Amino acid sequence: MRGNIVLLLPILFPAAAGILVLIGKGFGANRNKLVGVVFLALAVSAAFTGLALAKGGSVTLWQLTEYVEIEFRVDKIAGLFAALTTAIWLLVGIYSFSYMVHEREEYQFFGWYLIVLGVLIGLDFSANLITFYVCYELMTLTSLPLVLHERTKEAVMAGLKYLFYSVAGAFLALFGIFFLASVCPLLDFTPGGVITREMIRGKEGFCLMAVCCMLIGFGTKAGMFPLHGWLPTAHPVAPAPASAVLSGVITKSGVLALIRVVYFITGPNLLRGTWVQQVWLLLTLLTVFMGSMLAYKEKVLKKRLAYSTVSQVSYILFGLSLLEPVAFIGALAHVVFHSLVKNALFLAAGAVIFQTGWIRVSQMKGLGKVMPVMLSCYTLVSLSLVGIPPTSGFISKWYLAQGALASGTGAWTWAGPAVLLISALLTAGYLLPLAIDGFFPGSGFDETELASRKLLGKEPSWQMLIPVLVLTAGAVAFGCFPEPFINLLKGIGETVF
Amino acid sequence: MTLVQNFPFFSIIIAMFSGILSSVLNSRQARNVSLAAILITTAMSGAVLGYCLGTGESYTYMMGHFPAPWGNEIRAGVLEGLTALLFGIVMLLSVVGGMKHTFEDVEASKINLFFIMIDLMLSSLLALIYTNDLFTAYVFVEINTIAGCGLIMIRQKGRSFGAAIRYMIMSQLGSGLFLIGLTLLYDVTGHLLMSPAKEAVAAIEAAGNYEIPMLVILAVISVGLAIKSGLYPFHSWIPDTYGYATPTASAILSGLVSKGYLFLLIKIFYRVLGQENVIASRIVNVLFLFGLAGMIMGSVHAILEWDTRRMIAYSSVAQIGYIYMGIGLGTQAGMVAAVFHMFTHSATKALLFISAVGLYEVSGGKKDFVSLRGAGNRNPLAGVGFTVGALSMVGFPMLSGFISKLLFATSALQSPHKMMFTIIGLAVSTILNAVYFLRLVITLYARPKKKESLREAYGSEGDAREAGKQEERVKKACESEGDARAGKEVGNRKETNEAGNENAAGEQLGKQHISWGLGTAICGFILLNLFLGMMSQPVVQAIANGLAMFD
Amino acid sequence: MAAHLLYNIEETVAVVLFGIGFTMLLLHRNLIKKIMGMNIMDTAVYLFLAAKGYIRGRMVPIVVDGITDAEAYINPVPSGLVLTGIVVSVSTTALMLALTIRLYERYHSLDLDQILMQAKKEEPS
Repeated sequence: MRGNIVLLLPILFPAAAGILVLIGKGFGANRNKLVGVVFLALAVSAAFTGLALAKGGSVTLWQLTEYVEIEFRVDKIAGLFAALTTAIWLLVGIYSFSYMVHEREEYQFFGWYLIVLGVLIGLDFSANLITFYVCYELMTLTSLPLVLHERTKEAVMAGLKYLFYSVAGAFLALFGIFFLASVCPLLDFTPGGVITREMIRGKEGFCLMAVCCMLIGFGTKAGMFPLHGWLPTAHPVAPAPASAVLSGVITKSGVLALIRVVYFITGPNLLRGTWVQQVWLLLTLLTVFMGSMLAYKEKVLKKRLAYSTVSQVSYILFGLSLLEPVAFIGALAHVVFHSLVKNALFLAAGAVIFQTGWIRVSQMKGLGKVMPVMLSCYTLVSLSLVGIPPTSGFISKWYLAQGALASGTGAWTWAGPAVLLISALLTAGYLLPLAIDGFFPGSGFDETELASRKLLGKEPSWQMLIPVLVLTAGAVAFGCFPEPFINLLKGIGETVF
Repeated sequence: MTLVQNFPFFSIIIAMFSGILSSVLNSRQARNVSLAAILITTAMSGAVLGYCLGTGESYTYMMGHFPAPWGNEIRAGVLEGLTALLFGIVMLLSVVGGMKHTFEDVEASKINLFFIMIDLMLSSLLALIYTNDLFTAYVFVEINTIAGCGLIMIRQKGRSFGAAIRYMIMSQLGSGLFLIGLTLLYDVTGHLLMSPAKEAVAAIEAAGNYEIPMLVILAVISVGLAIKSGLYPFHSWIPDTYGYATPTASAILSGLVSKGYLFLLIKIFYRVLGQENVIASRIVNVLFLFGLAGMIMGSVHAILEWDTRRMIAYSSVAQIGYIYMGIGLGTQAGMVAAVFHMFTHSATKALLFISAVGLYEVSGGKKDFVSLRGAGNRNPLAGVGFTVGALSMVGFPMLSGFISKLLFATSALQSPHKMMFTIIGLAVSTILNAVYFLRLVITLYARPKKKESLREAYGSEGDAREAGKQEERVKKACESEGDARAGKEVGNRKETNEAGNENAAGEQLGKQHISWGLGTAICGFILLNLFLGMMSQPVVQAIANGLAMFD
Repeated sequence: MAAHLLYNIEETVAVVLFGIGFTMLLLHRNLIKKIMGMNIMDTAVYLFLAAKGYIRGRMVPIVVDGITDAEAYINPVPSGLVLTGIVVSVSTTALMLALTIRLYERYHSLDLDQILMQAKKEEPS
């Protein structure tokens, strides 16, 4: 082991704390103790992450095989993702202190929740492809208990589906890795790529095939088209905080994987103009459109949000697949914005379930009378996701469209923005009716039923409200003052291209 | 000659004599003698490994100091030492882990016989690893077969007898072919010691004589040992044999015995027939194809199986297929991968069999998917053990199975003609492995049944039906067996059902069942797996060194 | 071809016997016949080995009146191997016969398929 050991702290500490919670079975019947410990662990992990980001550097753990080492390093992308992950984890953690009251065996949720945080930070810090793959598989495994939490038949089937999709995707990616490892044994992440044209001379076809396998394989986690099916199954059965982080953060690890592969291993120049780029563009646009359509047709709110994730994460992938600096900035911005928005949406949906038990959109008429603040937040983040200025979604979509127009990819330069526009309309179509019906249920709406169930003005507890408020504020604030953030992303983009 | 150089011979003899000694001891003494023998031989193997690593070369040990063409020889090198060490560890953990069941499954008067078989098995495995003489190898192959058969039939049930006789018949076919192969080889070369035989083979090859006989010899020996190690089309005896033996026996048979034959085959390839001749003949391609077929078909059979123990057994067919595929690649890297997978599989499969036992204990002794629901919660340690084993078989990183797959895939990339087949085969087989292993793992952590919360109103109906069916099945089994133990367990289950709170009662049931032996064995196997998965570098290096020493 | 076969008559017979034994062991359903097949197979190998050790016109290496020239004796190693082999084969035969007796006592049949089927019926898992 050599290097900066501080980097290990944000990885090992939450994992150790999580294991402790699992072994200690939540420290007996005293719920406050559990909540206190988990909160402390989350806060300390956040501090450690900050420390690690400030210190930077790298740490090598050990040699796995002759060429492959387990190594962690902080670079700008790692910093961005780690900061995002930690912040969301802390907020959703606070939310779940209140939400998880009605679930059994909370300690299992919190234990695994902490462990996944450690694994995710490890994933963000990974310095080479093999380390990344190790963390990626661990993430699949450790996030599984979150999906499985309720242990019902449905949850088990959903967990199985999640597992099979992830495993199939991961192994598809693995064979790409095997091939690349034979071409270039040192798969260290280097901005701009490590694989040169000389290395693959005579094997271009195989190499592109391998990259294609990796795109589709890692695309599983990001919900990209052929392997997107796990998202709408896994989300509704998981507890709301779990679906929020699954959708908001774990899908982003698929995005991170693709960024790492395309921009840090093969390099954008190697792929530009090849059939792999064409296929990738096609798949992402298809996913964007299809996700929106399915979300539009879906009646169950959580499922609708899951389909929306399928569509929105593919916005990011579309931006990446253009292999163009402006679109790259748009994609990274959308990673952050979508993460904030989708977490807020899922937490709001969870609050509705928690307070009223409603899961279908049609049940939610007059929701504004039940929880006006929550619904306002929902409306604001929905607007952000649709991309209405001055919210954050507008910024990222603007960059994406600009990038597409400047990319010089033939028909895609206009087809891309067109699909994005149609999808934005659909997004408005599936998110906003809930807000409208919620605030303005129409003349025929009878309040007595709500009153009889004592639901009027039943805003959720502050633990549930504050994270949603913070997320909403973030989603709006980034839209109003994007300058410093975009400059940061520009800095990342410059290293890569 | 230093003392360490005597250790291979000592360890074979110690194991054999402890078997002879056990025949006049009672069961507990026999157990202690047996454990001591395994411990001592394992330590000796470790010493041999250390010695060979230190000197960096192999040595031959003349039995009775008769020089080469006449005497009988033992040969030890890095690979022999390493294999013997690993076999010793796996054997020790398997015996310790299955101890409680050994004492339950086997008639009290026959327990010392069981330990005699274990001792003989150890002795013959060590002899197969160390021997430098082909006919000695044959004799110990037969001893191994007899000991294996004894281990299967010691559990005096009808199906165990059936399994034993099938095992015996298939083994006899295999050893018959092996023996005629040896005889033909002796005919052609005039030697039974490996080193002079190899020189003779090289001379024959150089002269270009006897092409067809050499091919026949190669084919007959390969097929003979392939039958004995359970390569795909000859696998029919595997599920019965591993499925109905007592747990220790299953773990040893699947984890070690088949690997002993594989090791012998590799040794004969390198030390007698010459690896380049083997590659030049097209036998490797045949092995490669059968290996691939085994990888796929073994997994397909495993998916179709509802008895989990037989499922694990079928998975062995697939894993043996991997090893033959590695041999069939015909490259040095492929062989290293095959040997490493041998180690992986013996560590992992034994872990699976042993931890599965822990799960059956808390599920009323039933082995089907329905009964095992939630078993991972009732016996957490066994659950973790099984999960680790299953994940390793599927090839999750940090575990030994991942390194095997990495080695297979990278070695496949060096042989252009077989690359696509290997990669596709690995991919398909991995997915199939994932299908049945992960399904079982999830089942282990599913909620048993009944009492679903309000939201899954429609899920509960099906569950209740399943529960009813299962109870009937348990009852039927109880009636037909008339076995007091099963009856007690049905009682236990009923109690748990009535108590309503399944988990708590289940945990109690589990706690009273977990024996220290099982726990130690599972922990040991998990550590072994993690070691092979994370610190593979020195092991792979040692395998490559050992293979280089074979020439 | 035929002349070669006739010249190596022992080997020819051995290989034919091996084939007969192997097929019997593999294909017969009756356990006793399987065991007989196994013995035929083993015997064929011993015949082959013994034939290899025999050199026309020489005698058995049993020293009666002082060692004469080494050229006078046949190769003793195969004979030793045959002896070892016989011991091995006797023990496996004994084991298989013992198993057969057990199975016959339990199922009153020597037909392997029938035995396995009955066993399956009695113990479903």
